[in-house]
Amino acid sequence: MNGMELFGTWVAALLTLCLMSFLYKDNPLFRFAEALFAGVSLGYYIGITMDQTLRPNLFEPLRDSGITLETGHLLFAGLVGLNLYTRYIPKIAWFARSSLAIYVGYYVGINMVQKLQGEVLPQAAATMVDLTGGGSPTAALNALVVFIGVLTVLMYFFFSVEHKGLFGKASRVGIWFLMLGFGAAFGYTVMGRISLLIGRINFLVIQWVGGTLQALGIGG
Amino acid sequence: MSNLAKLTSIDRRWIFLLIGLGTLIPVLLPIGFPVRVTAPVKQIFDKIETFGPNDVIVLSYDYGPTTGAENDPMTDAILRHCFSHDIKVIALALYPLGGLTSLTASIDRIAAEYPNLQYGVDYVNLGYKDGGQATMKLLAEDFSGAFPNDTHGTPLSELPLMQRVKGARNAQLAISVATGIFGEWWANLINAQYGLPVAVGCTAVSAPKYYAYLEAGQMIGLIGGLKGASEYEQLVKDNYPATREAYANPMLQTASKGMDVQTIDHLIIIAFIVIGNIAYFADRRAKRA
Repeated sequence: MNGMELFGTWVAALLTLCLMSFLYKDNPLFRFAEALFAGVSLGYYIGITMDQTLRPNLFEPLRDSGITLETGHLLFAGLVGLNLYTRYIPKIAWFARSSLAIYVGYYVGINMVQKLQGEVLPQAAATMVDLTGGGSPTAALNALVVFIGVLTVLMYFFFSVEHKGLFGKASRVGIWFLMLGFGAAFGYTVMGRISLLIGRINFLVIQWVGGTLQALGIGG
Repeated sequence: MSNLAKLTSIDRRWIFLLIGLGTLIPVLLPIGFPVRVTAPVKQIFDKIETFGPNDVIVLSYDYGPTTGAENDPMTDAILRHCFSHDIKVIALALYPLGGLTSLTASIDRIAAEYPNLQYGVDYVNLGYKDGGQATMKLLAEDFSGAFPNDTHGTPLSELPLMQRVKGARNAQLAISVATGIFGEWWANLINAQYGLPVAVGCTAVSAPKYYAYLEAGQMIGLIGGLKGASEYEQLVKDNYPATREAYANPMLQTASKGMDVQTIDHLIIIAFIVIGNIAYFADRRAKRA
């Protein structure tokens, strides 16, 4: 680890400790690190979008080829994007809506097909299972659980009928399935959060302490 | 107030301290709990095993530094598997905050372990592109539409690997190592519209929803959180003994080491849940009496 890397590691380690200090109680060091992270993230996003998307996909083709029939669509896209900023000029702020309309329309178009073809239909089809399990007892049991689970959870979310009698009992079963789902999600969330802590502790122990000792010539 | 009842109002900072110690001690003194490989992870490994030297995998880094602790071991293990098995890799990033940083750091570090690899022939780093689904749709048809150059500024037409793979749809498999919704887009856009097999390595928080895609056959496998990453590491180590040396490096953060911590911390949390419930019911009984 060279001098600059070690300096960067120290900055990262001290900021990590600032953020972890919130676990004791809220304090100005935590607030500073939090604000710095938000600012750096936004700056990084703007910089990387300029460098990796706008430069190679818009500026360079327009610079190299000029405005031709082939690059006309790029100029149009660039103008549509720039037009979004007219909202900061009060007199013509309404003009930004046309760009927003194009943007929303494009993504609605993509999403409508994507959601229906790639999500609603295959996911619905996956719940229409062969209850015999094709002769396999475990597959049959799994299919039965899916069948009962989907049906009772849908009943729980069906509010046009009062939840009492047989319907009420079935919707109660639906709650149990939901609780199992939430339990699994909570378990995974705990694992995810601990993984993040592991990442930071590993960084502090291996890169910060280990790296500093190594730079000082102490230890392996 | 009884001693048990006092536990229900314990200062939560004591719990934080215990979790901190439960994390720090196994990091300093690894235990090495065994890792049991599950079917969703093995399915991805087995699929890659069926590929030959002419086959290509698209590996998308759809995560940033905030989830690097979970996602980095996944991409590292997948890359080691592909490079050990002589599979070509086209790597790209669609996540703005760190996607490119993670990608470049990871691919440079792992490729350095395989001196025979040739950039542009065996693997390519396309860099980051903004635009989400729009970019995905474009790169499925034609990589050069979305990525005119690779991350070093080289036009794709000059890279031998990119000359024979026009779009992601021409690859054999796409793997998205993702945070949030990106993995879903690979399944419900790229798999659904182009039929390209898709696998996802996701953060643990997102794993439950991805099982729905797995069950529906929209993904060939799933690496869920650090546990999934440790399973993939195990498969790579078991099947490619040469990789064990890299994983034995004490300076390396691996998912397998992380699972020691997960086990200890989960035991602490379970103990607190049990003790908390006992204290709650004991207190309630005492109040009734």
